[in-house]
Amino acid sequence: MHTGHYISGAGHLGLIAFMLFGRVFTPDPEPFEMQEVSVLSAAEFDALVAASQSPQQASEVEQPVAPAPPTPIPEVAATPDSAIQQPPPIQSETPPPDPTPQVAEQTPPPAADVSDTAPESPEPPAEVAVLVPEVAPVAVPRPVERVAPEAVAQPDPEARPDVVEQQATTPDAPAETVVEEAQVATAPEEATTEIVTEAAETPKAAPNQSPRPPARRPTPPAPQVAEPVEVPTPTPPTPTPTPTQPAVDTDAVAAALAEALGTPDTPAATAPAGPTGPPLTSGEKESLRLAVSACWNVGSLSSEALRTTVVVSVAMNQDGTPQTNTITMTSSSGGSQAAAGQAFEAARRAIIRCGSRGYQLPLDKFGQWQNIEMTFNPERMRIK
Amino acid sequence: MILRVLSTCLALLCALAVTGTAQAQQGPLRIEITEGVIEPLPFAVPSFQPESGDAGQLAVDLARVVSEDLVGSGLFREIPASAFISTVSDFNAPVQYADWKAINAQALITGAVSVSGNSLNVKFRLYDVFSGAELGSGLQFSGTVDGWRRMAHKVADAVYSRITGEGGYFDSRVVYVSETGPKENRQKRLAVMDYDGANVRYLTDSSSIVLAPRFSPSGDRILYTSYESGFPRIYVLDIGSVQRRVLESADGTMSFAPRFSPSGNTVVYSLTQGGNTDIYTMDIGTGQSTRLTNTPAIETAPSYSPDGSRIVFESDRSGSQQLYVMSASGGEAQRISFGEGRYGTPVWSPRGDLVAFTKQNKGRFHIGVMRLDGSEERLLTASFLDEGPTWAPNGRVIMFARETQGAGGSSSLYSVDISGRNLKPVRTQEGGSDPSWSPLQN
Repeated sequence: MHTGHYISGAGHLGLIAFMLFGRVFTPDPEPFEMQEVSVLSAAEFDALVAASQSPQQASEVEQPVAPAPPTPIPEVAATPDSAIQQPPPIQSETPPPDPTPQVAEQTPPPAADVSDTAPESPEPPAEVAVLVPEVAPVAVPRPVERVAPEAVAQPDPEARPDVVEQQATTPDAPAETVVEEAQVATAPEEATTEIVTEAAETPKAAPNQSPRPPARRPTPPAPQVAEPVEVPTPTPPTPTPTPTQPAVDTDAVAAALAEALGTPDTPAATAPAGPTGPPLTSGEKESLRLAVSACWNVGSLSSEALRTTVVVSVAMNQDGTPQTNTITMTSSSGGSQAAAGQAFEAARRAIIRCGSRGYQLPLDKFGQWQNIEMTFNPERMRIK
Repeated sequence: MILRVLSTCLALLCALAVTGTAQAQQGPLRIEITEGVIEPLPFAVPSFQPESGDAGQLAVDLARVVSEDLVGSGLFREIPASAFISTVSDFNAPVQYADWKAINAQALITGAVSVSGNSLNVKFRLYDVFSGAELGSGLQFSGTVDGWRRMAHKVADAVYSRITGEGGYFDSRVVYVSETGPKENRQKRLAVMDYDGANVRYLTDSSSIVLAPRFSPSGDRILYTSYESGFPRIYVLDIGSVQRRVLESADGTMSFAPRFSPSGNTVVYSLTQGGNTDIYTMDIGTGQSTRLTNTPAIETAPSYSPDGSRIVFESDRSGSQQLYVMSASGGEAQRISFGEGRYGTPVWSPRGDLVAFTKQNKGRFHIGVMRLDGSEERLLTASFLDEGPTWAPNGRVIMFARETQGAGGSSSLYSVDISGRNLKPVRTQEGGSDPSWSPLQN
């Protein structure tokens, strides 16, 4: 019955004994530093002590030789300076007095249509206590030549926008390790997101009203310039006619070849008639939209053209470049035919310019973007 | 039976839906571009080709003036000749579009010049480089050798018009008040120059104060105010013969701030009589005058709308200087300016859609534009003193006078695009004020 007590008591005793004698509560010995020492003999110690004492005898230092007596200064017979002969002053005749200037009678200026009161000076602002803002003032954009959707800071003075746009080289497929000079891309041209006028600058003092009044020889005949005459458009050189080839029924030949090879009439290389692949993602569409936007320059458009929306259709090549001869204006709205023409020219330039290297479009979805219809709406650009 | 019909209908609907989806996918990819860039259009203009022995220098000078005109508009940027890859050695040679594309030239201007005696012949072509085609047909101008600058301006006008779709303004002149001497003793005389400051000619001497010259719609006459008689009087000056005559007004009155009507037969002006200033019109042929306003307020600076049906003017009838529009025959006026500050010297745009004005607010002077209902007010400039706007013939550019602060301050002419861009001084030999832009020359 007391077996459990015995076991428990033995266990506790064992535990107490382990804690007392098992160095459980004994602190670890303090760490100590090890230093290497060297053992000296008595003779070596005496030699060291003797070397540290000051010398008992001082050696003499040679005294410097006294300088030789100075060379006696030769006596110089001092003779008084002779007086400089001054030339006698030349007597000039007294100039005749200046004639009395004839002053024309001053006529008072005509009465101006202005009030005698001086223009009011701008009153200086009253001195008031101003709390220092806790945040830095908002930077005011300065006027620059380019307005773009994204502002571009002024490039570093050492990096200037170049006429010809250059792109930084990117390494091709890994090949032999060749150390090349790093090429820097053309600095992006400085741009703001909206037109900044002078009126946005810091105010300066100015008069309250204009000091001007309230309202405010023969010439040669104007040079004659005749009415303009149209210059005929140069005609490209007519190509030399090639020798006439004997007429060959190519269709029949192709049909015979197709029949012999067992291929269908339609060549396999032609573009697919319908869409292939999944639709473009919104990101892919946005990428195309941004690419065209970067070249859509409306800065030279007329006010009416800036109110004209044009819809332009274009057929694309598989490498992402536009087929320039297929760019046509499908429709327009908001302006006259002439304004639509100007707006279309700007849109066409944008498509061709930024598409010259090919738009970044997925080739496996070529059927989706083989034909693109772009709507150029300048409404948001008009208010910048 | 019903189930069979329903299932058939469902099958048909599904087939239609699939067909519709397929047709939708077969349409072109549609995107909308709403954001672009606003920047000068880069162009290249190689030196024109001399087609006669003595046309070499003229060919160079003509191309230079054409380039300066286009660049000066702020809408174009010239590509320097040092960047050219190919040259144009023959006016009729085919254009190497790839070479011009490579330097990002979006427009290419080629030209040729020939001189025969005193006659000058200039022809040019404009190419849209990225479209690989000529933009419009080539044009040819003939004139006298001494008018070579005008011919260059005409070429630039044609290029500007074809690219922007707006009329040009380079072949135009500006009449202004030339100012010399210190501020307290400034000499003023009327002068006329090309829009770019070239070919300055003085029309009056500095014996009397002259103010506010205004071109007639045909560009052959000038209205101005002179204190020659001791009181301000309005004069009409014929530019060709330099003959002038005063527009008669009653003794003891002061007439000023004249401006032609679009027909050129009527003058609208301000007349001060008995301490009250109102707006009148006068038939130049008969001298018959008509009073348009009759209020105790000061009403001045009238300007006709392009169709001659309305007049915009400034008045302090509301207690502060504001802009008003009324019928050309007078009657009730409608206030159009409601912003802070004072508005004055309104000028109606040649297009008829905007009014340019001078505004004084918070210690600064501004040149601004607004619509006829007072909306879309836009301040284009800000300085110690800007005033006296005048419109370019195409309604795209505004010229005005800017005076600098201090005893040594001077007045000079500036121009700015109606968007507020391309603010720049106009080159004049001396100081200038009160500019008035002529219409395009014939």
